[in-house]
Amino acid sequence: MESGEEFGPWLGRQLRRRNMTQAELAAEVKVTRAAVSAWITGRAQPRPETVRQIAEALSTDLGTVYARTTDAVPAHAVQWYHRPAHSDGGREFGNAAAFAFEADLRVLAREATQNSLDERHDPTQPVRVRYTLHELTGEHRRAFLQAMQWESLKSHYAAAAASDQKVGRALVEGLRELEDSETLLLLRVDDYNANGLTGPEYDDGRFAAVVRRQLDSHKVDNRRAGGSYGLGKATLWATSRLGLVLINSTLSVPHEGRTERRLIGRLDLPWREVDGEAYAGPAWLGEPDAARGYEGVSRSWWGIQEETTALHLERESDDPGTSFLVVAVHDAAAVAAGDDGLHAMHEKLVDSLADDFWAAMTDTASVPPLLKASVRTLRNGTELIPETPVSPDQRKPALARALRAYLAGETVDVLGVRTDVALRTVTLNVPPLRAEGKAVGNTAHEAVLLVTPADDQDRTHSEIVCMRGNRMKITTQRPRDLGFGVEPFQAVLLAGFATARDGEDVSRAEAFLRASEPPEHNRWEWTEELSVAYARGAKRRLDEFRASTADALRAVVGNRAVPSAGIATELLRERLRFTQSPVAGRQGTRRSRGYPVVDDVDGEVDSTGAWVLRVRVAVPPSEDAWRLSPVPRLGGGRTGAGAAVRWADLTVTENCSFDGDVLVIAPGVRYAAFTGITDPDTHPVDTGMANIGVDVHKAEEGAKRA
Amino acid sequence: MGVATRHLNRAILSGTEHPPQVALLRAAQPIADPSPRWDTGPVRVLLDQAMARYATDRAAADAWLAPRLHATLRLTRGEAADKGLWAYLALVVAPDYVLWRHIPTGTDESRRAAVVQAARFAGANSVQAFARLWWAAEMFRDGADYRPVEVACSNQDVLNTALRLDIMEHRPTAMAVLRVLQQLTAGGAPRPGDQVNSLCRAIGIAGSTLMYETLGPDQLPDERELLLWIDEADSAPPAPWERLPDGPDDGEVPAASVAALTRLFENINEHLGQLRDRRGVATGV
Amino acid sequence: MNRTIYPYPVLRGRTDVEVTRVRLDGVELEFAGIGISQRTVALAVAGRDEWQEAAIEIRAELPETEIADGPWSELVCVAVLEEAATNVRTVHRLTKDRGSGTWQGTVRMARSRHHSRAGLRVQVVATVGGIPGRRIGGSESDWVLDLHAKAPQREQESPAVVEVDFRDGPHSWLRPMKDAPWFVDTAGGDMPVVYLNQAVEGLTTLLSGKGGPAAKATAALAGAKIESDVWEAMFHAAVGDVEADEEGRPRMPTGWRESVLQTMLPDVLPGLSPSDAIVEFSARREEGYGWAELQSRVQYAAALRAQLPKQLANAMRATVRPEGEDR
Repeated sequence: MESGEEFGPWLGRQLRRRNMTQAELAAEVKVTRAAVSAWITGRAQPRPETVRQIAEALSTDLGTVYARTTDAVPAHAVQWYHRPAHSDGGREFGNAAAFAFEADLRVLAREATQNSLDERHDPTQPVRVRYTLHELTGEHRRAFLQAMQWESLKSHYAAAAASDQKVGRALVEGLRELEDSETLLLLRVDDYNANGLTGPEYDDGRFAAVVRRQLDSHKVDNRRAGGSYGLGKATLWATSRLGLVLINSTLSVPHEGRTERRLIGRLDLPWREVDGEAYAGPAWLGEPDAARGYEGVSRSWWGIQEETTALHLERESDDPGTSFLVVAVHDAAAVAAGDDGLHAMHEKLVDSLADDFWAAMTDTASVPPLLKASVRTLRNGTELIPETPVSPDQRKPALARALRAYLAGETVDVLGVRTDVALRTVTLNVPPLRAEGKAVGNTAHEAVLLVTPADDQDRTHSEIVCMRGNRMKITTQRPRDLGFGVEPFQAVLLAGFATARDGEDVSRAEAFLRASEPPEHNRWEWTEELSVAYARGAKRRLDEFRASTADALRAVVGNRAVPSAGIATELLRERLRFTQSPVAGRQGTRRSRGYPVVDDVDGEVDSTGAWVLRVRVAVPPSEDAWRLSPVPRLGGGRTGAGAAVRWADLTVTENCSFDGDVLVIAPGVRYAAFTGITDPDTHPVDTGMANIGVDVHKAEEGAKRA
Repeated sequence: MGVATRHLNRAILSGTEHPPQVALLRAAQPIADPSPRWDTGPVRVLLDQAMARYATDRAAADAWLAPRLHATLRLTRGEAADKGLWAYLALVVAPDYVLWRHIPTGTDESRRAAVVQAARFAGANSVQAFARLWWAAEMFRDGADYRPVEVACSNQDVLNTALRLDIMEHRPTAMAVLRVLQQLTAGGAPRPGDQVNSLCRAIGIAGSTLMYETLGPDQLPDERELLLWIDEADSAPPAPWERLPDGPDDGEVPAASVAALTRLFENINEHLGQLRDRRGVATGV
Repeated sequence: MNRTIYPYPVLRGRTDVEVTRVRLDGVELEFAGIGISQRTVALAVAGRDEWQEAAIEIRAELPETEIADGPWSELVCVAVLEEAATNVRTVHRLTKDRGSGTWQGTVRMARSRHHSRAGLRVQVVATVGGIPGRRIGGSESDWVLDLHAKAPQREQESPAVVEVDFRDGPHSWLRPMKDAPWFVDTAGGDMPVVYLNQAVEGLTTLLSGKGGPAAKATAALAGAKIESDVWEAMFHAAVGDVEADEEGRPRMPTGWRESVLQTMLPDVLPGLSPSDAIVEFSARREEGYGWAELQSRVQYAAALRAQLPKQLANAMRATVRPEGEDR
């Protein structure tokens, strides 16, 4: 019986499709029900003559049963199944999580990518994620809506939108957008080299965790090892205006003997009444189930290429992993529409991934990254913005440099040049578990602190990014007392598995730190779990760890304390510090100018070698007229004050008059402009050999044109 | 330095009183380096000789003294930037020389009221009696060759202005300016010092657009030669009186650079000449 | 302040320069000595004082696209190292790095040719309109290479504060002022020095401000008074050092003197630009008119700078008794 699908799962599906029970088949082929059950679960195989009888019972030929590359029983049409409301009449206002989350592509990218990272399949290879924005219009849009059976959903959406809950209002908005605009925007989130949605349809496993569980279970601990698709998955539904996501998964472990194209759709709507029937919560797109207790419920089906293509869910390879298609994706912060809007969303995804996963994406020539990510944008199947690989250096160049230097073993002891990365080890004393008893002592774990000068473009700096696990950022630490005028730096603390080492101390530290995290995984602190699982003093170990980290950092970047004189002297010295130091070429800012200045000069050299200058003078408003001497000055600047030269001609442009060479500006005027032509006979050098500027001084009495 | 100015008063500046030697010596910071180059004896000898030689033309002492002072007081520029050193020389070692060289001469009437500028004792390096000579020697020497120093220091107009000008910090520029000065002097130009000062100002102005350092590049001085020469102060014989001493052989000014800049400066000077001709008066710019 | 224009095209875009690495006699200076934000290198960071040569690696970024399209040829970028105190200006050519497009090079700084703080900048020079050696651009602000600093701090040195016994201490010239609580000495070197008299019992304790709010306010007030004296002394010292330029106009001094004058002159002589104010100030000093009034204005400006009015108000508030204002 060597051929396509395994016999058991294949037979089980044929029975389901015929609405035939195991007992009915047993009666037809004259075996016990237990025997049929044994075939289906793979514990036994039917004899050849029985196989012939099975073929007859299924009204098919023998070849089909042996080959099992096709189904003997035509599938029940894939359709949407809406969960009926509880019979007690309680109204669930839909799935809070899906709509309570602000639709934010940044959050989506963070949560979905972290899930992919947690679900990495082959630990020697990176998990690859790709985000695809796809805008559909016209025929493409129509064909897609038809493939996902939009018509059958309309009445449910209309009913749900009628509710005046917040959810309903959001839906009204989404529906109107869908009706009014000629476009539909899809966001596909693919991962490859990930585990995929394995496990049974309804019982515990990755599939059920994503597809069947309530989305808003706050008790679910998101971020635990083994990746359980917790709260984070809700962000997928939250970014769909319709609360609708289609899924295609390639499994790393076969289910029903198959791995490719496990398809399902799920939408989440609030309580609604359609054609007199009340519905609450989710609906699923899939094959109607025949199994007892689940009759009519849509279950995942093994699709064919035509289906995945029509649903825009075809995957690029048979590498395991999952594709989520968020239908009518939106971002609450988006302002622009059309091409600008698409570009903005594309950029936001790239930036978000670069911001949150620089560490996982960092590699060296010999060490692969944990994660590779890219973003692309399509319109009606053709590329609008080419695939953009996300680089760890894009947003966090200095941090990525630090990590890369560590992975490549290129760190230094003392920072020399700006690209150097200093390494310090910081000891975390992991206390023994309570269960281990008193005989076991602390385990010393050498965490790694990396420090490097910050990059000019860094927006955040001078803090320690603390990581564990698959280089997941837990918290940031900002040590004090680094001394005056410390240069901006970047620092990473790698603990547990993030050290990229292995061993007893590493796994103990990883477990200890994980236990010290609250459900949000954003701190290392005292937790219930810590006090229950670990021996006394666990909290103190954490405090020591933080203090040693700060000490280590200080040793690298801290400025040496100036030998302290008397406290009075110190205080006085501090007060007398020059707060402002004029740097050559740049003037310190004054609160406001209380005196006239030349605020613009423009001009050119004419054919006689004279400068023709257009000058604007700003004066503070005054009750008296200003009498000023504008002085053209050749060759001023670094090399000296230059030489004052004379005017040959002065012409008023605006707001002033001339009394000889004296510029007179009437009371109350703030700006005056004039044109001046210099006298080349007073230029000590050829006009082309010097720069020129204009000063204004208070006129000395008697200054007249010479 | 601070102590120095505190002791400067009219009586000292006019020469009617000597500076309080004991108080100044007590206040002076001793130099830790035991090298004989800090021995002021040879400087004193040199100054006595200068006063004897130039009793009738005190200003002429500068050109004789500058190279010899430089070869006797062997310092790095970093050391020479310390104004306290020069104030010590002026107030403790040779206040008589400062008065001799800088007290205004003239009618008896004006002499009675005459005082020496305080800055000749303690002040800017372009003004202080000894610092100006040492720095002139340092900036106008061509490696070991002090001849350009003699040229620069024989013209008071040049000596008094040159040290204040940034352009002189570039040796090829300084050398080229001296070339023009020599040409003017040789050609019998009237008041060559004034002309050179005008030229220097014009060079500074043209320096707002032209970078002389790239038009006539210099080479970095040979630091080791210089330090070696300074160390040799311990064993070097005193500076000769009749011929020029040798300075540190730390590299000559590139001749091609000096030539290129000389041509440029001649052009600038020509322009100044045309201006003077056109206006019929010395512009004085 | 005043805009300057050129008789030929110059670069509009920015030129930036950065020190990337420093070696002292071949030994790398730790990065803590390179203050990028302060644009300052502290060459005494490791307490090493015996070095002879600092090799300063720098990198300059020029507006390359503008240059590519511009009328300039034979473009060179040089680093200029200068220190006025030693009349040193040395120029080092940078070379363009093909990979990064930046200009890089090593500036060699001989310790013996420098005294305290050297400036470092870049200058862009090119042939324009057939004339070689034209300045067409440069970095806007200098880097400071500080021979004596242990940490890279841009600030100018602050006035020194010395606690000393005026009567029995080492400075005999302070003896005549043995009862003065403090003395601001500007006759000294470059920076004024504040001497606090240890012979005045309790002065340093008072200034340390230990104790309640009243003690703190009193300390702040006394501190402000000293500060005000320092500013006044510095102002006079700065004005006294003003030299005339070639045209006989007073020239704005440099360093801390410029800081002091720039900040205080607008309060001393309102309505005048600092350069006009120096002219006016010098004229009044020589000719004597309005001189006394000017002294009051200097005191006023110094008091403002020292926040004396604010500290006085704070002190009055902190020491006033709750039951009454007068007695």
